[in-house]
Amino acid sequence: MKRNGLGFYLRIYGKILAQDLKSKMSYRADFIISTIGMIFTNISGFVSFWILFRSFPSINGWGYYEMLFLYGFSLVALTPVQCLFDNNWSLRQYVYSGDFIKYCFRPINLFFYYQSEVFDIKGLGQLAFGLGTLIYSWTKIGLGFTPLILLKMTVFLITASLVMAAMQNAAAATCFWIQNSFYILDLVTRFKDYAKYPITIFSPVFRFIFTFFLPIAFIAYYPSLVVLRPDEVPLLSWLSPLIAVVFFWLSYKLWMRGAMKYNGTGS
Amino acid sequence: MPAIIEIKDVTKEFKVLNRREGLKGSIKDLFSRDYKTVRAVDSISMSIEQGEIVGYLGPNGAGKSTTIKMMTGVLEPTEGQILVDGAAPYKNRERNAQKIGVVFGQRSQLWWALPLIESFRLLKDIYRISDEQYDGMMKLYGSLVDIEPLLHKPVRQMSLGQRTLSDILAAFLHDPKIVFLDEPTIGLDVSMKAKIRTLIHALNKEKNTTVILTTHDMGDVDALCRRIVIIDKGKMLYDNDIEHLKGFFGSYRTLKIRIDGDMKEIAESIQKELPDFSVSADDEWISVLVDEEKAKVIDVLGRLQSSCKIKDMQLEEISTEEVIKKIYEEGVS
Repeated sequence: MKRNGLGFYLRIYGKILAQDLKSKMSYRADFIISTIGMIFTNISGFVSFWILFRSFPSINGWGYYEMLFLYGFSLVALTPVQCLFDNNWSLRQYVYSGDFIKYCFRPINLFFYYQSEVFDIKGLGQLAFGLGTLIYSWTKIGLGFTPLILLKMTVFLITASLVMAAMQNAAAATCFWIQNSFYILDLVTRFKDYAKYPITIFSPVFRFIFTFFLPIAFIAYYPSLVVLRPDEVPLLSWLSPLIAVVFFWLSYKLWMRGAMKYNGTGS
Repeated sequence: MPAIIEIKDVTKEFKVLNRREGLKGSIKDLFSRDYKTVRAVDSISMSIEQGEIVGYLGPNGAGKSTTIKMMTGVLEPTEGQILVDGAAPYKNRERNAQKIGVVFGQRSQLWWALPLIESFRLLKDIYRISDEQYDGMMKLYGSLVDIEPLLHKPVRQMSLGQRTLSDILAAFLHDPKIVFLDEPTIGLDVSMKAKIRTLIHALNKEKNTTVILTTHDMGDVDALCRRIVIIDKGKMLYDNDIEHLKGFFGSYRTLKIRIDGDMKEIAESIQKELPDFSVSADDEWISVLVDEEKAKVIDVLGRLQSSCKIKDMQLEEISTEEVIKKIYEEGVS
């Protein structure tokens, strides 16, 4: 039998997604209410950001529109995690109840199969919100829309998404070893809020932590430097796509290892 | 013909943390971990041919699901060798998954929100089932069960019976060589149980699919299995035809008679007359457990009829349930 390639997985994912959306649309009230909820979450986040900037016109040399850019960048970068990897939140329950075993009998990749089950459509609202913010601040800063900048943006948005997905996978995978893993996943999700701020505002200790332990600085700060401050891009920014890929791969390996280990216990 | 499943001296051990008691104990556990090794499966061997239906029995915690997990490639044996269709399942779980189907009585593997037909279409892609084979299967299903009302119903809205039926159909869809059924009839009503058994039987006949059935319901075993394998505490207790098993405990049958008068007294006098067999009485019946190697039931009945006036009689075979219960409790000696 031919090994399943990328095309195979994309096709399967597309079909599952289409079916999933169809069934979700049939619960119209549920769909509308969760979309409204998402909009309000984003508006409240934006309002607190706006209030902050009425009192402080700039933070550590970062102006209003640059901060807005960072904000929009992090929202867009978080969309794939929200949409594609949302089933990580349920992993704990599946493992705890033993239902996780049911994912182990298909002739396709276990991680893929598990994540493909849920597509969180609310993420799309966040994407629209983030794109709006990003493009607005972009034009205000006057960055221009050259092919080079668009290419940089694409590469570094993917980078940021990979980092966030990796952090969530790793945090979710802890449930294979410990029982109260919810707090770890929750903690990681809370910390990602700090991704909206330039890392230079934190003390050196936190700067170190946010770069090497909980690498949220790679979600928006390091990647957006490439676009915002093209003259003073640190080495870490250029390396971030590579770091992101490695980090995602490691988180995937951790997740799979946990899944295999888990099956050894219980019935 | 080579066996489809070949298990040779397979042992599976788990390391289990020895938990200490109390708060103090759990703090100690944090720092020093004291493991003990538990043998869930202890050097079992068996060989299963293509097309067999094997009842895999044993009390709770006997090691059944550990064995199944090893055959499905989810677990690696600690020692020994398992070959499923000539390959070690745990070395390539995904390739092994193509050849097997798995059903858990209580855990549906179908997409919860989707109508059954959409689940089938997704499985068609995942297992790379050809159009021809898929259409053939759907036709076969249509002839075996009333599938139409199920196809357009989301799995979430199905009754347990419909869900189990759907899960079984989904497991056979890619025409696997082996299907593992774990308690397929648990929690179902009598008529649904019968439906499920008929379906499994028909699919096994039609497709020559090997079926490994774990169950606690002896009705399933009687309806489907010719061969049974029993394990307990990880060790193999029995592997043979079910008929042979009944012979294990002698060929016992229970003769029940009803006689006017005080049943207890009459039972005592019958016991004196038939010292070889155990006689007991309840409010309605006097039961004589007849060992047919010593005397024919008909002769015993004749002797009893000459001494007392029998109003009514019944003859009971020793049931599979009783035999299995006896094995769980006493083992095979």
